[in-house]
Amino acid sequence: MNFDIIELFCIAMFFIAFFGLITSKSMIKSVVFMSLMEMAVIMFFLSIGFRSGLFAPIGVNMNPDYVADPLPQALMITAIIIGLSVTAVTLTMLMTLFRKHNTTDWEIVKKKSAE
Amino acid sequence: MLTYFVIVPVLTAVLLYLFSSAKSGRVLAILIQTGFVGAAYYLFTLSRQGEIITSIGNYGGILGIYLRADNLAAVFVLLTAIFFLLASIYSFREKDGSMFWFLIFIWQGALIGLFLTRDFFNVFVLVEVVTMVVAVLIMFNRDTRSMYDGMIYLLVNITAMKFFLFGLGYLYRLTGALDMATITQVLSEADRADQILPYALIMTAVALKCALMPLFSWLPKAHGSPAAPPAVSAILSGLHIKSGVYLFIRFQDVFAAVAATEFFLVMGVVTGIIGFIMAMSQNDIKLILAYSTISQVGLIFVALNIPDPYSYVGGLYHVINHALFKGCLFLGAGVITKVYGTRDIYAIRGVLRRMPWIGAATLMAVLGIAGAPFFNGSISKYFMVAGAPELIGWVMVFMSLGTIIVFIKYATILFGSAPKPSEKEYPILPEQQFSIFVLGLLCCVTGILGVQTIQFLFQTTVYVDFMGYLEKVLIFFISLGVGYLIYKYFVKTSALLRRVRAFELGFREICASMGVFFAMILLAVGLA
Repeated sequence: MNFDIIELFCIAMFFIAFFGLITSKSMIKSVVFMSLMEMAVIMFFLSIGFRSGLFAPIGVNMNPDYVADPLPQALMITAIIIGLSVTAVTLTMLMTLFRKHNTTDWEIVKKKSAE
Repeated sequence: MLTYFVIVPVLTAVLLYLFSSAKSGRVLAILIQTGFVGAAYYLFTLSRQGEIITSIGNYGGILGIYLRADNLAAVFVLLTAIFFLLASIYSFREKDGSMFWFLIFIWQGALIGLFLTRDFFNVFVLVEVVTMVVAVLIMFNRDTRSMYDGMIYLLVNITAMKFFLFGLGYLYRLTGALDMATITQVLSEADRADQILPYALIMTAVALKCALMPLFSWLPKAHGSPAAPPAVSAILSGLHIKSGVYLFIRFQDVFAAVAATEFFLVMGVVTGIIGFIMAMSQNDIKLILAYSTISQVGLIFVALNIPDPYSYVGGLYHVINHALFKGCLFLGAGVITKVYGTRDIYAIRGVLRRMPWIGAATLMAVLGIAGAPFFNGSISKYFMVAGAPELIGWVMVFMSLGTIIVFIKYATILFGSAPKPSEKEYPILPEQQFSIFVLGLLCCVTGILGVQTIQFLFQTTVYVDFMGYLEKVLIFFISLGVGYLIYKYFVKTSALLRRVRAFELGFREICASMGVFFAMILLAVGLA
């Protein structure tokens, strides 16, 4: 299967963000990298339905050959909303942990929680 | 019709959130759960006559979003309904508040949706919903330890679902569809090389849901989290983990051309063995049960990936059996830890004398999981081994030996003399005894009527060879003897196990192992 440049960019971004998830010590950064991974996936989805020269599928009597696939966008709106709520919940939990341990370092939180 | 199975629990959840502070609200919850078991049973009888398909919004063809109830899905829905009913009865008088009931019902609706849906994107959405609900339930009591456990659970599972979503995007680009049946059809004609990447991405997420090696480390944190309500631990370990196994079965069918059965068989063996080694090293009764879940899932994976109908049915039956005995053990452990005020296995003695009903139920569940004759574990293990090649059969016997050692250790809490009851006695509630005992009794019933139950649930006629079964009984008693010796002279004293006990991965290590697993599965499929 052939990829165009934007899809390759998304794939690269996904794995770079994943690498960031493995290497970052701070919990805040973990949340940021997780959002980045999601952005990569969303961009990948959006690029599926699009080629230059296509129109948005709004209106009547449109030629189906020149209409972009609307489904990826619809799916991604859902995915964005889910991502938003997940990030919100994660940040809330992070704040609670931070208030208890006064740090955002994964290692220290792990050690303190085990006590 | 199938839509109601998802909508009714969700609507009930909202209703209960408004009204459940009163006792009548909780009575209503139990009544609805009971009615739901009836509805699930009705669905099951219908599905025996053929697959039921509902299109949401009545669009046909490739545009439709479908729910379907075939035999497998209906069995899982029935199991979910029964399990949630018993868990609800158990928590009837626990002071958990309306939030707890809200989350429990949302959880039930989303799980049933997960079992019924035929749409890939719905799988994604429902898994995300379930993950959020479970994360909140784990840290329900807001104790420091469970906050961390819930955080790890949430982040790890969400990261895995990013992999899933990416695989889904790739799949959509490849096939232009989201419906599983359509995708199966398109993929059967597609180029094999194109399917490798989406398969690896999606299976990484599913394997994490099932806690296969090396992705297991979040599970004991989540299932064994000390402050989590016992009903939540029981549902997590008995039922929730099976949603991963269920998705695995479905996706192996979708990706028939690239399905890496041998790879998952090997991973199942590794998971099973490391799982029981970790389990026997623990001293916290909840953690013993949690690690034993990992080992049992490994066993199920081995059985499901053997290309033989007997092993496959045995594996499916073990999925149900494991739900029964692990549910019973976790609920029992919830009461035991409250009565004794400790989770240390060496400090708890004499459960049978102190609380005979719960003790008896726990004993039945222990016998079930160890595979004692006439209990359900022995039947499913018999079929799993019966269909396996010689070598894998012996590996499975070895894995059951590990389980037996773990549960010899666990069973020590049942015997001995009970300590004198302290001043502040925790009351043992009759409804909790009831749901624990029902689960324990089911372990026994599904064992004695094993063949009939398999016939009833899966419409597969299986035969138990009398001599073969006798041989298994003999193997069980030999394993029991060997297991006891190993327990007495190795498990109790070993310094090595003490070091194993402290082994725990942090968030970054779990992510790294996710990457490793992804690379492994890519290699396994690519080289095949």
